[in-house]
Amino acid sequence: MRTRLVVMLAVCALVVAVAPFIGPPMPPHARDFILWQLRIPRTLMALVVGGTLSLVGAVYQSLFSNPLAAPSTIGTTAGATLGALVAIVLGARAAMWGLPLITAAAFAGALGVSLLVAAIAAGRNVRMNDLVLAGIAFSMAAGAISTGVQFSADSAELLTAMRWTMGHLPQVGYQNIVMLLPIAAVSVVGLLTLTRALEVFISGEEHAESQGVNVRAVRMASIGLGALGVAGCVAWCGPIAFVELIVPHIVRRVLGVSRRVLLPCSVVVGASFLVLCDAVARIIFPGKETPVGLVTAALGTPLLIYLVARKPS
Amino acid sequence: MTSLLEVSGATVRKGERALLEDVSLRVAPGDFVAVVGPNGAGKTTLMRVALGLQRPDAGRVTLNGRDVGALSPRERAAFLAWLPQRVQVSEPITALEHVAAARYRFTESHRRSEEAALVALARVQAEPLASRPITELSGGEQQRVAVAALLAQEAPLVLLDEPANFLDPAQQLELYALVGQMWRSGLGVLCITHDINVLAHAMRAGSEGRIRVLGLSKGRVAFESHYDAPDLGEHLGRVFSVRMRGVEVENRRVFVGMSLERGE
Repeated sequence: MRTRLVVMLAVCALVVAVAPFIGPPMPPHARDFILWQLRIPRTLMALVVGGTLSLVGAVYQSLFSNPLAAPSTIGTTAGATLGALVAIVLGARAAMWGLPLITAAAFAGALGVSLLVAAIAAGRNVRMNDLVLAGIAFSMAAGAISTGVQFSADSAELLTAMRWTMGHLPQVGYQNIVMLLPIAAVSVVGLLTLTRALEVFISGEEHAESQGVNVRAVRMASIGLGALGVAGCVAWCGPIAFVELIVPHIVRRVLGVSRRVLLPCSVVVGASFLVLCDAVARIIFPGKETPVGLVTAALGTPLLIYLVARKPS
Repeated sequence: MTSLLEVSGATVRKGERALLEDVSLRVAPGDFVAVVGPNGAGKTTLMRVALGLQRPDAGRVTLNGRDVGALSPRERAAFLAWLPQRVQVSEPITALEHVAAARYRFTESHRRSEEAALVALARVQAEPLASRPITELSGGEQQRVAVAALLAQEAPLVLLDEPANFLDPAQQLELYALVGQMWRSGLGVLCITHDINVLAHAMRAGSEGRIRVLGLSKGRVAFESHYDAPDLGEHLGRVFSVRMRGVEVENRRVFVGMSLERGE
């Protein structure tokens, strides 16, 4: 167990250290620029986004006692997509407070829909399945409005929108990372402080309540903080598929289900997993902006299936 | 400071139907209160009300004079611990983790929680189970671990909700022996059951008179008695709609139910 943990952390550190050097060879005169202005910022972005998304996935899976729960379960992704679409149709080049309008609108959309679900979670007699249902309902409503918006869009806008929904790590400068970092930090640190309460949740909500957990408060805090982090990530990167679903399951299979291992390790593994995916994306279509969402699914799915199919030792 | 659970005049309605009507009881440390009644008599509702999981439509539930609803979950957990019918964990955590999680109400390090959990497991002779995933244990072993969790919470009052419902006779006997130990160590026990005979395993000869029995029927208190009361059999019979006779077996009083039709 301890050896596994050390090995996993070492592999993660190695991936992150090596990743910026993976990719098409850098011409000597442009080497510094490519490394310091393109690859390292992107690696940092991947670290922040991968870590945050994976942790939120792990927390939601614990909270809903559902191995399939993900930010999309409570409508975060659908809200973000709606926001981004509206921004694209209104004119994607506009900017607010130095932020591209798409980013700001996606952030608002993601947070808006998830907070609606969080508000429902505040109810006294609400069961977890009701929340999943509410999330699906809100997702469908947001999806319907998105379809309406798409219907009124022209083909160039549609292409932009489609690209956006693939999930990508944008070619961003350090400034955007600095903007995302506090959002992600609040979400990650806040969620990790809930570890102990989520441990008690394993034996059921009412039992947890009888053991002293304020179930409603934990529920709202988890959903609110999770939505904040995911909204931040989705705003810049679009919905990157599967990271939040796959990484916690990989960690669970390798290191066990104990919350105090699962949650922090999901951050570390998720961060380096997305860094790795980004590096792989650079190799498969050199010189093109391959959406990283494509690689996360292509790389993560076989790994997960292998882990699920392997007989437990 | 004594910890006193007091339910007074609790009434819970669901639409027109009264699930619980004007039920009162008190449990202090050292008490053993058995709530008996057929399925649907309102036993579980009473337990949920006592735990503060459900607010009564009328009446009050107080812990040491303070309204249960006004206490934070943490404060409530310091008074009351709950043993459900069976452990339902959504993931294969180890027995040790399960018991350590019951220490949530204490602000302490993880190491301290685990130490306390090991002590609790030792008290129910379940140390060898500590590192086993709880989902792989037998029903009886699971309930033993659940009792350890109950002890780890260190509440002066414990509520047991049909804790032997899914156990075979040997496991039932073992579980109620543990319940008896808890009671004799000074905890107040409120035990809900539809099988009065399991209580025989919790007591030592001579302590029958200290077990209070509260009969529930259709949400109301049908009788209040003691385990050694001569007419307890008749009371029980009425609540369960059978004829019941108390008989002595190896110095323990057990109750046998017979159909109403072939009466003498």
